[in-house]
Formats: sequence, C-alpha cells, structure tokens
Amino acid sequence: MKVLRVKPWTIAAFVGPGLLLYVCLVFVPILVSVYNGMFDWNGIGASEWAGFANFHKMLFNDKVFWPAVNHTLQMAILSLVIQLPVALFVAILISRHVRRANFLVTSYFLPVILSVVVIGQLWKTILNPASQGGMINQILDKIGLHAWTHSWLTEPKYAMYSIILVGLWQYLGYHVLIQFTGIQNIPADIYEAARIDGADGFKADRYITVPMIVPIFKISVVLSFIGSLQSFDRILVMTAGGPAHATEVLASHMYYQSFLSLKYGYGSAIACFLVVFSLAATVVVNLVFNQLEKRYT
Amino acid sequence: MKTSKKMFAGALAGVLAVSLAACGKSDSDGSSSSPAASNPGSGASPSASAPASEPAKENITITFQNIYPDPTDPKYKMLHKLVDQYQADHPNIKIELDSLNTDQQKLKLKTQAASKEVPDITIVNPAAQMQPFVDADLFEPLNAMVEQNGLKDTFQPGLLDAYTFNGNLYALPDGNNIAVVYYNKSLFQQAGIANPPATFEELVADVKTLKSKGITPLAIGEKDSWTGSFLFMNILLRTNNGPGFLKDVLAGTKKFDDPAFLDAVNAFQDLVQAGAFQEGATSFDYNAGENLFKTGKSAMYFMGSWATGGIETSDVGKDNNVGVFKFPTVGGKGNPDEFMLAPGSAFAVSKNSKHKQETLDFLNWFMLNYPKEIFELKGAVGIGQKVEGDFKAAGYSQMAIDVLNMFTQVKGGDLAFDNTMNPGTAQAHLTSIQNLFVSKKDAKDVAKEHQDAFDENYKK
Repeated sequence: MKVLRVKPWTIAAFVGPGLLLYVCLVFVPILVSVYNGMFDWNGIGASEWAGFANFHKMLFNDKVFWPAVNHTLQMAILSLVIQLPVALFVAILISRHVRRANFLVTSYFLPVILSVVVIGQLWKTILNPASQGGMINQILDKIGLHAWTHSWLTEPKYAMYSIILVGLWQYLGYHVLIQFTGIQNIPADIYEAARIDGADGFKADRYITVPMIVPIFKISVVLSFIGSLQSFDRILVMTAGGPAHATEVLASHMYYQSFLSLKYGYGSAIACFLVVFSLAATVVVNLVFNQLEKRYT
Repeated sequence: MKTSKKMFAGALAGVLAVSLAACGKSDSDGSSSSPAASNPGSGASPSASAPASEPAKENITITFQNIYPDPTDPKYKMLHKLVDQYQADHPNIKIELDSLNTDQQKLKLKTQAASKEVPDITIVNPAAQMQPFVDADLFEPLNAMVEQNGLKDTFQPGLLDAYTFNGNLYALPDGNNIAVVYYNKSLFQQAGIANPPATFEELVADVKTLKSKGITPLAIGEKDSWTGSFLFMNILLRTNNGPGFLKDVLAGTKKFDDPAFLDAVNAFQDLVQAGAFQEGATSFDYNAGENLFKTGKSAMYFMGSWATGGIETSDVGKDNNVGVFKFPTVGGKGNPDEFMLAPGSAFAVSKNSKHKQETLDFLNWFMLNYPKEIFELKGAVGIGQKVEGDFKAAGYSQMAIDVLNMFTQVKGGDLAFDNTMNPGTAQAHLTSIQNLFVSKKDAKDVAKEHQDAFDENYKK
C-alpha cells in the first residue's frame, strides 16, 4: 500500500495549502449558502430562522422557478446538441485540410476572450428591430422576408433562443480548440494503418477520430453543460431576465431574488439547488462517458 | 498506514476548524481582529485600503459611489469639477469616483451591504427603499453635519423628511422632482399635431397619428423596469382621482382589484396597443431610452424632471424645440396638478467609513457648492435646494422655466411604487408591468398578481 515513498506529513504539507484554499473558497461558501437558505433574511438587517420554508416555496410555490429551470436546461441541452457536434466537425475539417491551423483556430477562439458585455451589446444591436437599426431584421427586410422579422430579444417566444444563439456563437471556438487539440494528439500512424486497410476520409473519422476523442469530448461536454447552467452575465446584459421572466435562468433568478427583492435567504436556497443540479449533471455525464469509454477502449 | 490515515484525518479536521472559524469571524459584525473585517466600510476595493499606515499627514482615499456616469449630463460635469477642486484644495485627500447607472448602483450597494462594505459615500433612494439599510444600521446620522455652515437651510422645507427615520437624518438629496412629459415640437408639427394632448384619450390619438407617420411616439427604457412603472403609477394617480392608492392598500382599506387599479391597467394597455413605445422597448436601458428622445428619434418622453438638464443641453433641445406638458387626465379623472413626486436619490455616509470626519466634511462642502455649480451648468431644474439666481438671465431655456413653473403648481401627488412598498412587492409589480409591454393581459389578472405579491411580502 506504500505506493508513495514519502512520509504522511510531507503529503499533508504539500496538499494542505491547496486543500485549505479549496475548502475555504468552495465548500465553505456552499455550506454557508445552505445555512443562509434556512433564514428569512433581507441580506442587510436582522435574520429570522425559517427552516425549510424557502426550499418548500422554491419547489412548490414559485411561479418563476420551474420556468427558469426549464430555460436553463434548454440552454444547456441546445448548446450541447448543436455546439459540440459542429465544433467537432469544424475541428476535423481544420485538422485534415488546413496546414497551418493556428491562425484559423485563434480566429474562432477570439470571441471567447471578448468580454460578455461587449458581445452582449454587439448582439443586441444585431438583433434589434429594424426600426432601431437591427442588422438581421434589416437584412430580412431587404431580401423580402419581412414576415420573418421579429423583435428577437423582446418577444417572449424568441428571446431565449436569441440568447442561446449568442452563446453558441461565442463559445464555438472554445470547443473547436479543445477538440482540435484532441485530434492532434491522435497518432498519425493509426490513420496510416487505417488507410492501408481502406478506411479513409469520414470513414476514418467514424472509426478512429470519434472513438479516440471521447475523453476530450467529455471535457467539452462537462464544460459546456456546467457553463450553460451557470450562465448569467449574458442574460443580465441582453435582457435582464425580461421581458417578464421570459429569459430568466436559475442564476439570474437567484441574483434578482437576493439583491433586488432583498430575499437573500431565498436566493441562497436557489443557489443550493443550482449546486445540487450541477453536481447531478456532472455525475450523469461521467456515468454516460464511462460507459462510452469502456465500449471504445 | 493506520497512522497516516489518522494524520490525514487530523489535518483535515484542523483545516475545517480553521476555515470554519475564519468564516464565523467575518460574519460577526466587526468585532474580530482581522484587518479586513475591522474596516468593512473601506469601499469597493478593500484590499487597497487594508494596510492602514499612519504618516504625519495621512493620505486618504474617499470612495464616492454615484449615479452620474453620463459625460453629457450636467451632473457629471458638476461632480467632476467639484471633486477636482476639492482634491486641489486638500492634496492629501483623494476622492475615488465609482460612477454607475442607477440600476447597477442599486445592485452594487446591496451586494456591498450584504458584506458590510458600504462605500464612504453612496446613493440611496428615499422612504421605503432606504428603510432596510437604515434598519441594518449602515449609515451615519447627519443631524450634526447638516447644521454646519447652514447647510440645512439650503434645502426646501419638508424635503429632508423623506430621508429621516426616528428623528435621524441619514441622507441628503440631490433633487426633488416631479414627473412630466417632454415633447419634440418639430416632430409634433411634422405629424400635424398642433397642441400637446390635454387628456389621455387625446394622447392615445396623438400616439396613433405619430405612429402612422413613422415616428416613435414615446421613448422608454423599459429594461430598467421602473421607468414603465413610473408612467403606470401616474395613470393610477389619475384613475384613483387623487393620491394615496398604495397607502390605502397598505392600510388595508383597498385592494388591488379596485376599479381605479383596473382602469389604470386598461389605460396603460391602450397606450401599449396603440404602439406608443419604440419596438423592443424592454431591451432598452434607461440611458438608451432617453437617448432616443435626445437624438430626436421619438416625439415624447415621460420622465422625472431630473431629465430636464440633459435634454436641454442635447441636440434636440436647441432652438426651443422641446416643450413640456403635465400628464393629462385619464377618462376625465384626476387633476393634472397632482404629480408623481420623486424626492431625489440622496447621498449617505457609511457608518463604518474609515475616514468618517473627512467624508462628512467633504459632503458638507459638496452639498453647499452643489446648487451654485449645477445652476451654472444649467442643470438646476429639480434640485432639492434653493437656488439664488435668475434662471432666464442665466440662459435657461423656456422648457426649463416651464418645468420650474410647474413646481409652483404642485398640489400633492404620489411617490413611486418602490418608494412606497417593500422590495419584494415592488419587484413583482415591476415584472407585472413589464409584461404588459409584450403581451395583452386581463386587468383582473394583473391585479391578482399584485395582490398575491402584496399578501406574500407583507404577511407578517
């Protein structure tokens, strides 16, 4: 059992500081949130013990909560099923056909380093109604598709999808980069061997690239899913959760309850739900990928 | 192997104990010995001010959170001029401006209050909005400070009451405003409308006329949802035939399904359905909405009189092109001389400020010089202090003088919704009204949303 030939206290000394930080910055706040969630507190003044009333209200009595969960899931699942396959496709194309891929990959990556506020404002002007200078609507108008024009960000039916679209655009490059790197790490001799056996082009991708990239793909999936669950800034900049909660997600609902309605305790309860939800999602993703990895390796 | 496990367990337990203890400390109100916790009032950047050294003439920084981020606004110029001057006169004092727009500032202050890190000077809103902060004992009473140099007498009588709780004054207002409707004369002419509307019905008719000419009738920044609420409350002030509807609800003598409220919802919807507001209004923030009017893209703008200065100095305000009218009667009800009243946002001083005396001295000086400075910058319409000087001679526009005259005609009115009811109810109200911009609703449902929120947030 003595795999590590170091004394336990040495391990403790090296692991300790990191662990301490991690515990302080991650676990303790979570526990504090759970604790705060048990209070009726406005975040400023005195608090009052409320037990599980906040959690009960959240699950059964809040008209905004479940729609917010729904919007959050929409965001997570749509970015998963649209963004990642496209990113993989782009990554495959780049690695196969582009000799010096760095420039292209960097270009795709550019939106990721831009501030979400900048991107939000940019897309707001793109998505605005034509009368306010919105680009998409003006183009639709010009090509005779006036019936298709909408006030994308303020019609409850479309607002959520518009915001999701912006997320897809912004983070595509991120996943292209991850998956491109993954593909680069697949040894070239495997492809050579496959070519001799007659597997070329997309056939090679189907039987070599996809199975071998599964572990990397998993990282993409987890990052994209958790990122979507926690997305907040984009919502705040573009619609502030409006019109009338049509684009409210869990994180923004939590924020508004805590700081605008001054229900800090209730906001903490939502935060707890978000933590549990994210953990559950991560576990599910891990289980699925463990199966996949077993099958392919 | 056994020992190693034990040691790990011990180390972990130690780690947990230390970290938990640390958390317990920062939760307690300032009694701990850690520098960060004992100086909770050190503003937006606690790390910068934490290492307090004490040289002979101490260099200090006062954080001044404010809501004047717009460089075209006279208040922005006034703020920067006064702050620069004060810094020049007091080389050891640095005043750090934290300029945010209204909604951002409200959120930031609440976040800071949650961690007891209120900036030295911050902005609060009167009455109900201020109450939680006062209850939490975050602000320094200004009773003594306001007596110095005769500052108290510069304020309009009665105005400071909106900032006084249990005999203690906690903030000094930058204004005292009423809600009016600004209109663009040349756009009205273009649409063939001779006079500003005298009734709500005329207003709706004018909206349709303007709309048919391709002009946005009313600009609004409804992403900041208080703007729509302010307008709605003015309608309610009319349909209720006078002020006090919300007070009656609070007193339990009225409910939200009162005909006055239902009428107000329906009137508001008439306005929306007539296409009064710009497309996509709910994604425009306050500044973006106001800019539509200031750049001549919309014919009317409903706002508190604090907007007068900005509109006057904007392009559209040139050549006496902007006029102003009182919000009209609705369905023959109400009195146009009753206004939505808005005692301004106000400057408060953090109780935990590290440099309390310097901060109080600065604020005293600032408020004494504020009226004169802002008068010269043509932003003195709707300030809460007496101004000496001839507005006309100083070059104020006819519009500004019209607004000033309206002040003399005020016969009472209502405060905004969020100044009257608690934050939980106010948020539900704001959402409910914002929803009217995007979907037609039955007035009874809107009333029910309000009543439910009220019952829930005032149940104790």
